Amino acid sequence: MRLVDPTIPAKEGLSVRAPALASLEGRTIGLLWNHKLNGDRLLTETAGRLQARFGGKILPMATKNNASAPAPGELLTNLSPECDYLITAAGD
Amino acid sequence: MISGADKTHEVGDDLLEAIDYCYEQGWTDGLPVVPPEESRVQAMLAMEGRPPETVIAHHPATRLELTVCAAAVNAVMAGCLPEYFPIVVAAFEAMDREPFNFHGSTVSTGGSGHLLIVSGPIVDEIGMNAGVNLFGPGNRANATIGRTIRLTLMNVFKIVPGIADKSTQGNPGKYSFCIAERADRNPWSPLCEEFGYPDGVSTVTVFAGAGFCNVENHGGNTPEAILDTMANAMANYGCISTGQSVVVLSPEHAEIVARPGWSKAQVREYLFEHAKHPRADIERLGKLDRGYDRQHWEDCHRGIGPDDILVTVGGGDAGGHSSFIPSWSRGRGSIMQTEAIGVCIDC
Repeated sequence: MRLVDPTIPAKEGLSVRAPALASLEGRTIGLLWNHKLNGDRLLTETAGRLQARFGGKILPMATKNNASAPAPGELLTNLSPECDYLITAAGD
Repeated sequence: MISGADKTHEVGDDLLEAIDYCYEQGWTDGLPVVPPEESRVQAMLAMEGRPPETVIAHHPATRLELTVCAAAVNAVMAGCLPEYFPIVVAAFEAMDREPFNFHGSTVSTGGSGHLLIVSGPIVDEIGMNAGVNLFGPGNRANATIGRTIRLTLMNVFKIVPGIADKSTQGNPGKYSFCIAERADRNPWSPLCEEFGYPDGVSTVTVFAGAGFCNVENHGGNTPEAILDTMANAMANYGCISTGQSVVVLSPEHAEIVARPGWSKAQVREYLFEHAKHPRADIERLGKLDRGYDRQHWEDCHRGIGPDDILVTVGGGDAGGHSSFIPSWSRGRGSIMQTEAIGVCIDC
């Protein structure tokens, strides 16, 4: 009996990891809040601690309008050149 | 190999061993599946006019794609007959639209079961159940069409419980959640007509639903008595949100409501007006986030207007049991979508 496989393989090369930063010293921090309760507080506190330790600027917090949908491409495209690294969190 | 298939597996001819093989591959929802033997898949594909490689749905986060062929394989595994397949295809095409929010509605802690509501002549043509035991069990078409949705989500889109699917408590509707609209005891227009589709065209509406809520009233004999009962269920503290609602009135309840001449639009308006709590109560409970915080109404209603409530009729002749299915998500995370079955309206 020949069975047809019910899965579909993931396409190669659609996503790539950004190279890891050598250091966080003085790096600009981006924040992306999914708009769930307390997520903004978690991000603000985390960024504050990183800034205290490594310095660098914190960008104004960017926000998703729909917590459960992927971040719009335009939002990420705009954030990407502005920050060296980005923190996101799902508060609840 | 079948056109559109990426891989096949040679197994022995023993059916029980083939069923075990499917378990070993992780292809099941926990229940046994029909082994997706090639000729069965070909019969399913014969019901779809487009090439098997045609993509009918995408996952926006993982970018995985569902082809007609993969949908057919999973439909075979779920136990579908070929004549059910156009409903499966239409359901995924509906889910693929951005407002449905394919990603969030399939992976969230909220545990959405994707409710399919089939309306129109196809219900009788393929023997779907719109009557007694509407939500199951007992009818092959209802059970297997709904099950195909879950198997496809797990096998094609890798929405696997505990890995990509983070539902806190799950939902029995995630095994299968498919009903047909009852035509012979429906005092109003069927959904396919209400949504403006041409005569003879059947539709499937896909709704990212949370848990099923039975709404019982055997003593009320007025529209207000029935609809107040329903509105109370819709507004319960655990369910209230700005999201959409599905209301399935039993034939008895629908008759009581429609007898004095209430239209479906009036039903929706009444339910919206009465499914509410004072804003201060919602704030006290800590539920004023996501949607209500952007409104400035004195009360928090379920949904943002009467059109957020889909009203349909289904179930057995006897019994004052209707049902309310709240939307998944704490807000308007997903908007229900309707698609014509087996025809392209815009082509």
